Amino acid sequence: MDATAPLPALRTGAAIGGRVRSGRRVADRVLRTGCLLATLLGALVLGSILLMLIVEGLKGFTPLLFTEPTPGPGSVGGGIANAILGSLVMTLIGIVIATPIGVMAGTFLAEYGRTSKVAGVIRFLNDILLSAPSILIGLFVYTLMVRPMGTYSGWAGAVALAIIATPVIVRTTEDMMRLVPGTLREAGAALGAPASTVIVSVTWRAASAGIVTGIILALARIAGETAPLLFTALNNNSWFNANLMGGVANLPVMIYQFALSPYPNWQQLAWAGALLITMTILALSVVARIVIKPQRAR
Amino acid sequence: MNAASAMNAAHFEGRGQADDTAPVRIACKDLNFYYGQFHGLKNVNLDFHDRQVTALIGPSGCGKSTLLRTFNRIYSLYPEQRAEGQILLDGSNILDGNVDLNDLRSRIGMVFQKPTPFPMSIYDNVAFGLRLYEKLPKAELDVRVEESLRKAALWDEVKDKLKQSGMGLSGGQQQRLCIARTVAQRPEVILFDEPTSALDPISTGRIEELIEQLRAEFTIVIVTHNMQQAARISQFTAFMYLGELVEFGPTNRIFMNPVKRQTQDYITGRFG
Repeated sequence: MDATAPLPALRTGAAIGGRVRSGRRVADRVLRTGCLLATLLGALVLGSILLMLIVEGLKGFTPLLFTEPTPGPGSVGGGIANAILGSLVMTLIGIVIATPIGVMAGTFLAEYGRTSKVAGVIRFLNDILLSAPSILIGLFVYTLMVRPMGTYSGWAGAVALAIIATPVIVRTTEDMMRLVPGTLREAGAALGAPASTVIVSVTWRAASAGIVTGIILALARIAGETAPLLFTALNNNSWFNANLMGGVANLPVMIYQFALSPYPNWQQLAWAGALLITMTILALSVVARIVIKPQRAR
Repeated sequence: MNAASAMNAAHFEGRGQADDTAPVRIACKDLNFYYGQFHGLKNVNLDFHDRQVTALIGPSGCGKSTLLRTFNRIYSLYPEQRAEGQILLDGSNILDGNVDLNDLRSRIGMVFQKPTPFPMSIYDNVAFGLRLYEKLPKAELDVRVEESLRKAALWDEVKDKLKQSGMGLSGGQQQRLCIARTVAQRPEVILFDEPTSALDPISTGRIEELIEQLRAEFTIVIVTHNMQQAARISQFTAFMYLGELVEFGPTNRIFMNPVKRQTQDYITGRFG
């Protein structure tokens, strides 16, 4: 065989390769610049919102915020302690209601209902609930609890928040349990463990970081919900006195009402409340990322 | 004897002679298996002898893992899979509808291709199966865990870190942990589904030695893609192809004097 024969072919190949490569380089630069600009635009919008929030919010950030209840319009002093406490209590009750239901339902979908029709329907309904406008949830609980009880109440607020958190937890629990390799379940079954033992001792454990992350994200989601609380917990300008049978002050509705009011001191408190709630949600998201990290590393 | 089988004979170190007078532990009678419509095993008739290592070999998709997965009925986890015929374990048919699957699986252990340590401590991994059926006092549990880890040749490496997670061990150690977990239940039969295909050669060698030691106490069935491995560690070999059992016999005979043409083609590397 002629040893020089392949060489011209190689040269042509290199020439074509060179042209193609420069074409690709141009396309790469164009695309990369486009992506960068889009990212900067997004970051700019987000950054300006955050900057405004921090600048305006910090003006009203005093220790009084955490010790005084909401003041009357135009008066001096006052804080948002009642709203912080009310939000905290309703959010926690909401998550306490939603977690067992969500984890159990997610477990059913992932473990028992892989092929069943019922599970398919439940999964579909859960996805609808996941994207349902939260104001609808508020109206639903209003009809279900507020009207029969004759009063806005903290309980109704907590239930509305629970309804919003549940589908989030169902979804993440199912997704995280499905990520657990089937061989791990088989290994459990191969030792003679009943399905329930395998789920509790093996699958839940393996998926625990992901499930906890889902719960934290659900917590972050409901911490900032306004619409469902407007129709349920409404507000209460006096000190929260552990009575969930009446209206309960909470941050989102407080922000909504105070920001729309004509009184400068209320507007200032709304800014401070908005900053507080944003920082809380940011902190929860960071915690969620830290929790999920060891699982990714595996 | 042709050149290729002479080469195999050189690899074959003769780990104990095949003893076909040993009692039959598992007997398959006209075993058929279906994945939905797909006919995965066709009329398999095969005996597994007590305290012998039987290797199942054959090309991918031939049904060797399928066969292995019928013995502890792990396939029952998947509703679309079913087996027909008989599998007699010590004379009683485990395919009967009224068989207690969890009891069956505590008598027939299984080790998988990829190591499957549970996300818990080394100690808890080994104790997992023991806690299911035996309510042992702590001291006795400790003894059983140590005994099992020794049998799996892992004790010396982990005795100082029993409380650490089993996930932190190397691949080969994880696989031996899984063997310890299986051995702890004192099963009658241990099924190995390509136990070394995810491991490096040194870990593979250790697992092979371990299987040879375990043979003193347990009946062993091993699926392997590696024919040298089958030759090294088994007393009996079954060659399967397209869902059928082509040839079964003492390992040295299968490798040196295969009767069927397909067997010879496979072990000499002409296909598969």
